[in-house]
Amino acid sequence: MSRTVTRPTQSTTNGFAPPARAATGGVRVLAVGGESGPGPLQSLRQWAPDLAIDLEWAADLPRATRLLAGGHWDLVLAVLGDRSDEELTWWVDALRAAHGGTRLIALADRPSMGLALRAEKLGVLDVLALPLKREALASTLARVRSAATEVALPLPPPEADYDTEGHYALVGQSPAMLEVYKLMARVANSTATVLILGESGTGKEVVARTIHQHGPAAAGAFVAVNCAAIPENLLESELFGHEKGAFTGAVARKIGRFEQAAGGTLFLDEIADMSLALQAKILRAVQEREIERVGGGESIPVTVRLIAATNRDLHDAITHGRFREDLYYRLAVVTIQLPRLIDRGDDLLLLIGHFARQFGTRYGKRIESLSDRALELLRNHQWVGNVRELRNVIERAAIVVADGTLRSEHLPDELRAEEPGVPERSRGGLPTLAEAEARHIARVLSHTGGQIGSAAEILGIHRNTLTRKMKEYGL
Amino acid sequence: MRVEQALRLLPNLEALLPLRGLLLSSARPDARVQWGSGGPYLTVGKRDVEPGELARSMGRVLTVVTEHINALFGAYIEALECQERNDAPGAAAALVGAGRLEEGVGRLSQAHAWYDVALALAETLQDRRPEVETLLAIGHVCLALGQYAEGARHYQRALVLAEAEFDRGRAVDASMGLGDAAFERAEWIGARAWYSRALRLSDAANDRLRLGQIEHRLGLLDRREGDLAAAGEHLRRARAAFEGLDAAGTARDMARVLDAQGDLDAALGRPGPAAGAFREALAWVRRDQHDPALDVSIRLHLAELLLETGRWLEADEEMRRAEQLAITSNQPRGLVRIYTALGTLRGRQGDETGFVFFEQAIALCRAFEGPAVDEARVFYAYGLFRQVSGSPDEARAHLERARDIFRSLGVDVEVERVETALRSSHDVNTAVGGAG
Repeated sequence: MSRTVTRPTQSTTNGFAPPARAATGGVRVLAVGGESGPGPLQSLRQWAPDLAIDLEWAADLPRATRLLAGGHWDLVLAVLGDRSDEELTWWVDALRAAHGGTRLIALADRPSMGLALRAEKLGVLDVLALPLKREALASTLARVRSAATEVALPLPPPEADYDTEGHYALVGQSPAMLEVYKLMARVANSTATVLILGESGTGKEVVARTIHQHGPAAAGAFVAVNCAAIPENLLESELFGHEKGAFTGAVARKIGRFEQAAGGTLFLDEIADMSLALQAKILRAVQEREIERVGGGESIPVTVRLIAATNRDLHDAITHGRFREDLYYRLAVVTIQLPRLIDRGDDLLLLIGHFARQFGTRYGKRIESLSDRALELLRNHQWVGNVRELRNVIERAAIVVADGTLRSEHLPDELRAEEPGVPERSRGGLPTLAEAEARHIARVLSHTGGQIGSAAEILGIHRNTLTRKMKEYGL
Repeated sequence: MRVEQALRLLPNLEALLPLRGLLLSSARPDARVQWGSGGPYLTVGKRDVEPGELARSMGRVLTVVTEHINALFGAYIEALECQERNDAPGAAAALVGAGRLEEGVGRLSQAHAWYDVALALAETLQDRRPEVETLLAIGHVCLALGQYAEGARHYQRALVLAEAEFDRGRAVDASMGLGDAAFERAEWIGARAWYSRALRLSDAANDRLRLGQIEHRLGLLDRREGDLAAAGEHLRRARAAFEGLDAAGTARDMARVLDAQGDLDAALGRPGPAAGAFREALAWVRRDQHDPALDVSIRLHLAELLLETGRWLEADEEMRRAEQLAITSNQPRGLVRIYTALGTLRGRQGDETGFVFFEQAIALCRAFEGPAVDEARVFYAYGLFRQVSGSPDEARAHLERARDIFRSLGVDVEVERVETALRSSHDVNTAVGGAG
């Protein structure tokens, strides 16, 4: 292992790393690659003084792991070998686990467009071709340094009248949420069945809990069942219970969730994930207000308030014969549609403040501000997982934040990959048609979770054409 | 369509196992479910599988299957040709080769069947080396199948024959196998005796690779017996032995040693160095031909460390990474361990819905016919989960099931562990009954 320490050529007041991290104030770089010597990174030593980087070198991954564990690094420059995809994933995993937001620059012989797109999706700072060019590296370093000029903005204070129970809180003042609050207030005092619709992570269970707390059954239990999580063959016994010996494994009588919720509220989440046979049994329970345990012949009366929720289009499910229309009308006595996070405007900031406080307390941190760049990234994100995704992002950030300000470096790689500064990989800063097409295909595939059929449908091309293009672009 | 639905339409036929594997490896999470309230409970059964995508991947899988069958047929033809030229040792070697091919793709019972045929042939020969080789192979596959007593019996015969033939290398292998069989049954004194014998033999032959492997096993043994200082010393020696050898050839061994080092550091209350050791182990796994099973195993240990230190979110993320790897590389046994760990994690969080992970683990054990010991471990963890979640009857049923399986395998220490849990379950029931 060799070490080259260089002094920066100019003041590092605006340098990337806080002064405590690097003795010289430069960007601390760990270069990794080559079994027998720095090889393609040889020239890096010569450029180090001009580029103001503190450079260390590790020959292989195990040595690099030891060095990474031993101190703070701003950047890792890793030479990828033949299994570049696997190595890239390993690096992303390893750096994600390392504290301090170390960024990765991957170096590869003739990097394919597929590799570049995957790297971008994983939040890798850049993929550079070998032999390494000084200008390319300098340009990437300039982006790193510009990220250091983040301005801290104070987080909004907590709303005075959060409707909370434990970890659950309805936070937001956007017009879309005000409509939801009004509807909730109207239905809470009744025992009407409620159907809550909304994308994943919009807070359907929080709304259900709040309705329960403010309703006539508030003294009773709130029992939530996630129909999508429970294996189909167990869902019936989970909901209705079973008698001893009803099936293999039924070692004792089990009281189902309907009975557990007697006098309270039963929340059936992801109700569209239920089989038609089970839907018929739910319909009977709603209509007759009685149930039968699996393997039992006795009808048991149940008094529960039912709240159901789904992220699916129930009308579409009815049209395709996957959901019973009669059950839909029984459930949808009152329907509440929850807005997507991106449609909630400044609620985003209120939610960030709320979660930062919540997780700050949990992890013993005092998070009081948010950097302008972090806010920009959070605002630009698409939030397919809505509030749940935001909560997850802020929790992860709260774990790694050190000085009370949540910065872009604390955000997950996926978000940082959306930084507007990510350069195109062709001359002149503009993508070629093929690059743009490859990026769009990658985006759509990501959206469909890799389902080629659905992606082809969205793109409006035949699946065979899509498969060919994926092969062509190395996706 | 969900994987659990697709699996219900697939009869449990041995010939269809590759299709089962394909179903598993092409399963993808639905983005809506991933971020929905069911996301934290997502298992492979709740992932989606697209028939069209299966159809497209089928060609690739059939090619692999055809190549495998071709190689098996080839080995068999080679055995026949050897027999025709009166080369019975060659025939036995070809049959053992076929068994190794089966073992390489995780078809352990089938490998056992090939070895049995090879053994029947080898036993008739004057040259005892083919018999030793075959006995070692059977011993190895028996341990992988959780048949510890049978494995030990075969290793014992191999040792006697190897010593009679003055074959030091094979005697070392047999002693190590006997040590492994004793280790799996928690017979610590026996395991130490066998490993020490193997160590002496390897030392005399200056066989650094085997020396390193035995030091590693002695380290694990000391760790299990609670002598952490001695364990650390053995692991240091193991590492030193491997460091002098070709790095690429010993990458897996080095990864295993670092994995054990991570576990040791965790036991010593040093989570930082432990995590570092696990990460370095993962880096070593990447150096050689990638071994997904080892990768998954190390990630699980890392996740368990995070779980023990209360870093639940990170533990969950690491388990999910292991899950993704186990799914794409078709590692049902790895998935069983991951779901057991995820169920345990949810149990710690007081989340009753965590039972879905145990149910998924049991379903996988049955669908992929893994070793009985895997199922026993799931039932044990499930029983503990049900104890905490206030379902004593169900807890007792799961624990009794685990005890019966462990007992059938002759793993007394595990039987005792389950008995202890059953007694505490009984005490709780009695207390509850008395209070009522």
